[in-house]
Amino acid sequence: MTALAPHPLDYRQQAPEVAARFERIKQRPVILSVKDLKKTFGQNGFTRTVFDGVSLDIHRREFITVIGPSGCGKSTFIRIIAGLDECSGGVALLDGKDIGEPGPDRGMVFQGYTLFPWLTVKRNVMFGLEMRGKGKFTAESEARQWLDMVGLSKFEDSYPHELSGGMKQRVAIARALANEPRILIMDEPFGALDAQTRAQMQSYLLQIWRKVDITILFITHDLEEAAYLSDRILVMGTNPGRVVEFIENPIPRPRSPAQFVSPEYLALKMRLEELIHPPVEVEEDKLPVVKMTSAGDDVE
Amino acid sequence: MAQRDWLGLKQELPAKRKFTLTILSFLVPIALWTAVSYTPWLWHPLVHITDPGDVDYFVEDMDVPKTDFDKELAKVQAAGGTLPQGHRVNPVYLPAPHEVARAFYTAFTTEPRLPNEPWLHESLSHSIRTICWGFLISSIFGVPLGILCGTYRFFSRLQEPFIEFFRYLPAPAFGALCVAILGIDDGPKIAIIFIGTFFQQVLVISNTVRKVDPALIEAAQTLGAKGWNLMRRVVIPATISDIYTDMRILLGWAWTYLIVAEVVGTMSGITYFINQQARYRNFDNVYAAIFMIGIIGFTSDLFLAWIGRIIFPWKRRSGSPSKLGAWFAKLLPKKPRPAVAVEA
Repeated sequence: MTALAPHPLDYRQQAPEVAARFERIKQRPVILSVKDLKKTFGQNGFTRTVFDGVSLDIHRREFITVIGPSGCGKSTFIRIIAGLDECSGGVALLDGKDIGEPGPDRGMVFQGYTLFPWLTVKRNVMFGLEMRGKGKFTAESEARQWLDMVGLSKFEDSYPHELSGGMKQRVAIARALANEPRILIMDEPFGALDAQTRAQMQSYLLQIWRKVDITILFITHDLEEAAYLSDRILVMGTNPGRVVEFIENPIPRPRSPAQFVSPEYLALKMRLEELIHPPVEVEEDKLPVVKMTSAGDDVE
Repeated sequence: MAQRDWLGLKQELPAKRKFTLTILSFLVPIALWTAVSYTPWLWHPLVHITDPGDVDYFVEDMDVPKTDFDKELAKVQAAGGTLPQGHRVNPVYLPAPHEVARAFYTAFTTEPRLPNEPWLHESLSHSIRTICWGFLISSIFGVPLGILCGTYRFFSRLQEPFIEFFRYLPAPAFGALCVAILGIDDGPKIAIIFIGTFFQQVLVISNTVRKVDPALIEAAQTLGAKGWNLMRRVVIPATISDIYTDMRILLGWAWTYLIVAEVVGTMSGITYFINQQARYRNFDNVYAAIFMIGIIGFTSDLFLAWIGRIIFPWKRRSGSPSKLGAWFAKLLPKKPRPAVAVEA
């Protein structure tokens, strides 16, 4: 890969309204506070550090994306926040209280489809409400509202296997939001979808986020997705996993696909490319030439 | 589209061909049986004597091996006496298909020869009763224990090693012990079916439960499910349809143990019937009774599979499960559901 020429626009440069928005965000209360979080595996002398020294504060209604190459521990990081894994050091506070076991205050949307196949769409959304002790009728009417929000009222009596991948993830989002969590954690939720559905789902998610008072922590490995959705981007690196940079996204809101060619977007994307895809280590000239075909000299 | 290969490697066959092959799988053995029964020169190792002629030891209605018959025939021919007459037959233990088919009816009407001897329908219902009790008692303990072992490592480590060992002890070996403890009536028979089923049941079900997708459990946890609710609302519903399938297979195994169980203590049920009929040399009745076990087992399994599709609708792929099922589903009141969705 040839090195990218630096983009003329600095990705750190923010338009006045964007800068003002970040000022406002910083005034809001902190929902999730993470300090020096650390995770290691193994014991008896041999340990492997998954990540170390991860710190961030997420403010109310902020949209944070976490991005990094595979192996940087981003999935482990959010599993710890969700309470599904334990950390090896550091603290994570939700509303100032230590995060404990998994609970309804941290909604989660997984990459794989985790709707309960034995429940209809509506009953899936009602699941969390019933777990929190809501009566059947309250739960049902609330579930209907959330299905309305994701545009799936027509399918409330369908079973998950009758839905497409994108629709399943919309139900999963409705199911997590129905619990009115403090923070919505999404682990590459659109990773298994085809490109078109994914683009659609991103716009859906932004719409929902505008209408609901919800803070989002979103994991992805897709640079464009991170740039399109987020307020701030936490870029993680490998060996060991660590925070490389915490970028304030300079693209103004509301977002639209038309911005994909704006200078801010290109500058940000180029910076992310630099951070995520460092130049190839081996020089191409030094690679051995193996089995060139007769058409080989035409191939570049 | 071009006609696809009948022998495509791991390729799904069209429904029509599948049906044809299913029918063939039954027709081929029946055709073989028919051929051997009705073609006089195929096998037919015996000669049924209709006229003994001048052979001393031949009697009418006697079956002799063909070689003996030929030898005697040659002898009589040489001596110039009356020739014995006969036609080739199969041994009595291989009745022809039509005889067995008739026996499906006559077996029920064959009057018991001894006082207190049961009729066929009584024998059959006795067998079914025995197997139901054995399977029920086994399931009452086996299913919950299996679910516990599959869910909690604690129970798994506490129970499974011993069960793993115990399941190698053949159930019939406990026959004498069961009779000593439980008497000679149905008690020991039910106990043997229990021993044969229970240990497999715990292991099979715990294995099924262990295969629950952990992501479903994690999803439920992030929705606030804990402890008993997690078990009742996630683990059990996630596995119940697979457990149901396991139970169908286990019920098939229980039938195998039935025959062993019925010879323990006083012989009873269908095994007793088969033994008595074999003693009276009513082999057509014997075959009919054996086939009846097969038919009862097979149809009850089909029936349970079909019930399963009704009670576990989420396991039903789109499209009607079967013609019979679709017909029955029409009779059931059912909310209209939208068809398979396409991305809006």
